[in-house]
Amino acid sequence: MSTTLDVMTAPDVDADRVREVLEYYWAKEWTDGLPVVPVTESYLERFLDTVPHDGADVLFTIPHLNRSLTVRLAAINAAMAGCLPEYFPVVVAAWEAIAQEPHPARGIWQSTTGTAPFLVVNGPIRGEIGLNSQGNIFGSGFRANATIGRAIRLGCINVFGLQPHRLDQATQGTPAKYSACIAENEEQSPWAPLHTDYGFDASDSVVTAYVIRSVVHIEARHTSVPEQLALDLADTVRRTGALIHEYTSALLVLTPEHADVFATAGWSKDDLRQFVFAHATRTRDELSAVGKDALSRKSRWRLSSQHPDSMPDTASATDDPSLVRVLSHPTSIQIMVAGADNAGVSAVVEVFTLNPPRENPYSYSKIGGRS
Amino acid sequence: MAIHELLLDPTGTDEAGQESTLSPRPVTLSGLRIGLLDNTKPNATLLLEEIGSELQSRYGAGETRLYTKDYFGTPATADLLERIADECDVVITAVGDCGSCSAATVADGILLERAGVPTVSITSDSFLMSGRAMAAVQGFPGFDFHAVAHPMASLTAEQVRERALAALPEVLRILGVED
Repeated sequence: MSTTLDVMTAPDVDADRVREVLEYYWAKEWTDGLPVVPVTESYLERFLDTVPHDGADVLFTIPHLNRSLTVRLAAINAAMAGCLPEYFPVVVAAWEAIAQEPHPARGIWQSTTGTAPFLVVNGPIRGEIGLNSQGNIFGSGFRANATIGRAIRLGCINVFGLQPHRLDQATQGTPAKYSACIAENEEQSPWAPLHTDYGFDASDSVVTAYVIRSVVHIEARHTSVPEQLALDLADTVRRTGALIHEYTSALLVLTPEHADVFATAGWSKDDLRQFVFAHATRTRDELSAVGKDALSRKSRWRLSSQHPDSMPDTASATDDPSLVRVLSHPTSIQIMVAGADNAGVSAVVEVFTLNPPRENPYSYSKIGGRS
Repeated sequence: MAIHELLLDPTGTDEAGQESTLSPRPVTLSGLRIGLLDNTKPNATLLLEEIGSELQSRYGAGETRLYTKDYFGTPATADLLERIADECDVVITAVGDCGSCSAATVADGILLERAGVPTVSITSDSFLMSGRAMAAVQGFPGFDFHAVAHPMASLTAEQVRERALAALPEVLRILGVED
């Protein structure tokens, strides 16, 4: 089912009335700052018809805020975000994945940290609804990507009251808080798609949810040596500015050209993972130079060993205390392929990581998986 | 022909109940047991102990009891809140000086008030809006709490003591104690 508007003809409208409606949403503060699509009961029904759920089914609860997001509320916010009804099963799976993440339910989106939900979509649904996976993946221009990510943001603002300057106390936040939904470029990847790593069939459609800090770009157009490229990636993963607690985690979003550098040299995704894990280290002196060579007893945040609240980090108890790993597990590195096949430019998506670190720093849900 | 329909509320807050009645105020602190709920943030313990000892020496409060939360970012567990409500006559809780913990400190205050215990939640003033927003989602939009000057975490012991003394009139006002 698609929109009934005949897009070939410019509609004849009462523009003042349209603006009045949009102003109503701004006045109610039911927006991320951008205009939203007006939603009424009959339009809402078209969204609810796309999923097997009952409108009253609860997708995600933040207990300490006394708030729950039902399927009905997810649909209202998705429609307001500009989703088409056929995108809604992806939005539902996204909320199901987010609900399994430990930090959102425990208040991380109120935190000064300023993290954002970040979605990856795999499988045939990408083509069915026009999700972009090739070119400008972190940028604008594609309705499905833009509005599915925004559906989550509007749900956070409207249902959970996570308004900036109020319950959302992000010191700076991230541009990803407007919308962050990418799809894997499975067609131009030399490897099996991300969701098959969790045991799904390639023919399944799956949403993976991360809680992220930053998206950092890697310029490496100069090399076809896999070790050089892998060290460039590891250098960004291990940057000291990323460390709040003892460890970090990252999703490597490789362009097809970079993925081919590894695949042509016979590297699997796991070979790359193991290499980055081994090289994502800091010397004790480097951490000391930035005052992050120990942990706080109370919070386990990194701080200086000179601080009265400090205690030694995990690496201090190993055979080589001068070398500090910034990744707790090889699986702290996740790998996917997305972007245009036109340059050696990839990205490290920094995944928020607390103590104790999780072996797998993401959650996922199959689209249409519940009946 | 155009069909007119009402726009839908995307918040789901219509059905949320409001309960904004404070517990009965004590008038005097004489002999009352003071609960100090520490959220583990730096300098919280010291701030609470300083306030507790001032309430004892100047207003005749009874003993103080220190309680510690498991995690600063969410409200205290139902078990802990119940124990505090059983064991204490009034409660001071601190210190909400971050995004999630400011809101959680205010929520603790509201939950204790609803359990019948007069409570002063203390945030830092950088997080006044976060505390107010939490009071609104808890159905207690006008809940009164005290915001000390930010920052708290980096203060020396002497500076924490100054914050405690500055907070005292507000603590007494919120508890409804007649000076």
